[in-house]
Amino acid sequence: MKKQINRGKIIIYLIPLFILSGCWDQREVEEFAYVIAMGIDKPKDDENLIKITYLIANPESGNAASGGAGNEPPREVISFKTDDFVVSRNIANTVIAKQISYDLLRILIVSEEFARDENFIRWIYDATKEMEIRRDAKLMITKEDTEKYILNNQPKLETRPHEYFQMIIERGNETGMTPTSDLTTFFRITEADADLFLGIYSTTEKEERSSNPINPDNFKAGEFQYGGETNNTQFAGSAVFKEGKMIDVLTIEETRLTFMLNPTLTAQEILTTFPDPFDEKYRIATRLTKNGTEDIKINTKKSTPSIDVNVPILVEVLTNHSMEHYAKDSQKRKTLNKSFEQALEKKLNELIRKTQEEYKADPFGWSLIARKKFLTIPEWEAFDWMKKYPEMDINITVDVELGKFGRQGDIPKLKEIRD
Amino acid sequence: MEQSKGKIGIKEFVAISMIILSTKLTDDTPAILYEKLYNAGWMAIIINGIVTILPIFLLIRVITNYQGKGLIEVTNQLFGRFLGYIILFALWLGILAATIIDTAIYTDIVSSMYFVKTPTIVIYGVLMLASAYGAKKGLEKIGSVAWTVFPYLQVPFLIALILTIRHGNTSFLFPFFGPGEWTIMKESVMKLSIFADYLYLFILVPFLSTAATIKKGSWISLFFVVINLVLAMTSFVFLFDYNSLMQMNYPFHEVIRTISAGFITNMETFFFPFWLIGTFVRFSVYLYINALLFGHLFKIKNFEYIIPSLATLIIFIGIIPDTPTFTIFYLRETVLNILSPVFFFLPCLMWLIAKLKGDFKHEKANQ
Repeated sequence: MKKQINRGKIIIYLIPLFILSGCWDQREVEEFAYVIAMGIDKPKDDENLIKITYLIANPESGNAASGGAGNEPPREVISFKTDDFVVSRNIANTVIAKQISYDLLRILIVSEEFARDENFIRWIYDATKEMEIRRDAKLMITKEDTEKYILNNQPKLETRPHEYFQMIIERGNETGMTPTSDLTTFFRITEADADLFLGIYSTTEKEERSSNPINPDNFKAGEFQYGGETNNTQFAGSAVFKEGKMIDVLTIEETRLTFMLNPTLTAQEILTTFPDPFDEKYRIATRLTKNGTEDIKINTKKSTPSIDVNVPILVEVLTNHSMEHYAKDSQKRKTLNKSFEQALEKKLNELIRKTQEEYKADPFGWSLIARKKFLTIPEWEAFDWMKKYPEMDINITVDVELGKFGRQGDIPKLKEIRD
Repeated sequence: MEQSKGKIGIKEFVAISMIILSTKLTDDTPAILYEKLYNAGWMAIIINGIVTILPIFLLIRVITNYQGKGLIEVTNQLFGRFLGYIILFALWLGILAATIIDTAIYTDIVSSMYFVKTPTIVIYGVLMLASAYGAKKGLEKIGSVAWTVFPYLQVPFLIALILTIRHGNTSFLFPFFGPGEWTIMKESVMKLSIFADYLYLFILVPFLSTAATIKKGSWISLFFVVINLVLAMTSFVFLFDYNSLMQMNYPFHEVIRTISAGFITNMETFFFPFWLIGTFVRFSVYLYINALLFGHLFKIKNFEYIIPSLATLIIFIGIIPDTPTFTIFYLRETVLNILSPVFFFLPCLMWLIAKLKGDFKHEKANQ
């Protein structure tokens, strides 16, 4: 009798296992087509539609466990016109056999043309309504059509698309060549209506124009000239958004300078060159890291508000083509230090002038610091940071500290070798 | 052992009260606070926590004065049978409304954030089935379940908190006073009833092992609940800033959809089951208190048996509103505004009457 009761109990406990495992939303991994990246475009002939491009990953490809299924391609791409990216999930099923899922959507790709459109913001806010799209998805802007971009993007070694995007975006952040560009940050900055948002800029189209010969760092995606046998895609620079609409593109150098000024961004490893103060022909390779936090003082009480920024930078000198002897000569190190500071200050001031005059808003997140000067939100909103920014009095000082001089500190005297 | 039958000790009481109050950070309570208070919504919790000290203090003072009696019996004794009946009836309506609205919200959370395709009534049914099953088992069982699952709720919560703060930015807390000091005070006090659950917890006094349980238990749980809620509410600001936050329906669920731990993304699937367990415990307690009050009002001795019918009633009322995300949001706000003065003034009134009646002297004479 007791046994029977126990058996009955077990059955009762087992039933919820079936009922409670998702009800109508029960889903099998096998039954889904996982969209890793979604492209959004504006078709030229139709104002009220958008063009969606899905990059669907094949979970079986490159998976050691699957063994036999090695011949399947790692991805599938479909592109079509539709009303929005919510209904498109259904329409795609006229071609794709599996149900479309945004669960693993990592990156939203928007063409530059659409991002510059007034109406872009109307469609991007669908992402807050669609329940499967996560707020930490990345937002990326491409120079060309997203369909063309996704088709042209053929990584040679990282063939699994989610792996490729994750790695190249992470690396771009570490080196300061592309911004972080989360969807949640985009919404936050757009809604706060005070600063500029920076999105990742990328393209698969090479421009014929060769990059700026004076400074090889100063280019954006598409301008980098390279040969060999590799992927066509370049991730470089950032798309500038003002009030939810794209207005311009920053080069790698400008993006890196923004990283230096913006307290919310950190780049771990910036490798760049400076002109050599001892010989104009050469450039000195350096590794830049933020040496502590930047000191930003904002005075909002004055009639023209002022911002004083002190950027502490640790510079490691990695090459020495003019073959100077820094090890024994502190005066030379001082000159070097000065020249770095001047070069950086000049570039930073140029960027600031550009933001004040051209963009009339800042991408540095300084409004967050200015907010601390106000007691209440109505006061802060009445101040209207974005409107005041172009007139502000901004002073930048750079505080360079020289770090290591490479693995080996000194190099032989050129004079003695060429004796 | 015989004595402790059907009674709960201090750890169970603390676990129950912490679960039913802390789960509020996962529903639309933060949204209600942030809507009017911008980025200073978290201050409302601190202010309310401080204000709540008074009603709890008075309740403890009054109710422990009558040994072994709970809020129901004391109300009857202080206000007389007729007035006492009206007050208890009003209290019952209050908790019934709260249960209906809260369960409807939780159903809406599940159906809009997790199980989109499942019919609402099925989600509602399963939620109430689990809660009614818990409530039917009695307070002792609820208490031991609450105590058992408590660490499993608190630890994931702390993990979520650490991840959120790591992703967030503290500058979003400024301007510090949000909409202005005066608005914060006013709006906070109007939402005092976030802590009104304490009033209902005093109904359970006869089921507690000793009188000291309610005394110590209330203070301990109030302290930790305020900490939990404040930490969670500030971390929401850290992550989203006030503009985005004010537009969200259920910030907690947006948070767990945004954070990730290294290569582990889609963390919401990890937090969802723990949250569900907390939800079941919360509504089991609500249903139990509902039935207890109902049983007293309508002289039903074995009140546990009405729990299933109450649960069914709640489902059918709860699914009536269209677009629950909006309508229930306003209904909940209204209920909170109505319950706030009740929660504050009822204990004051009880204390005053007890004082006038001279019941406190009676206690001193006994000692």
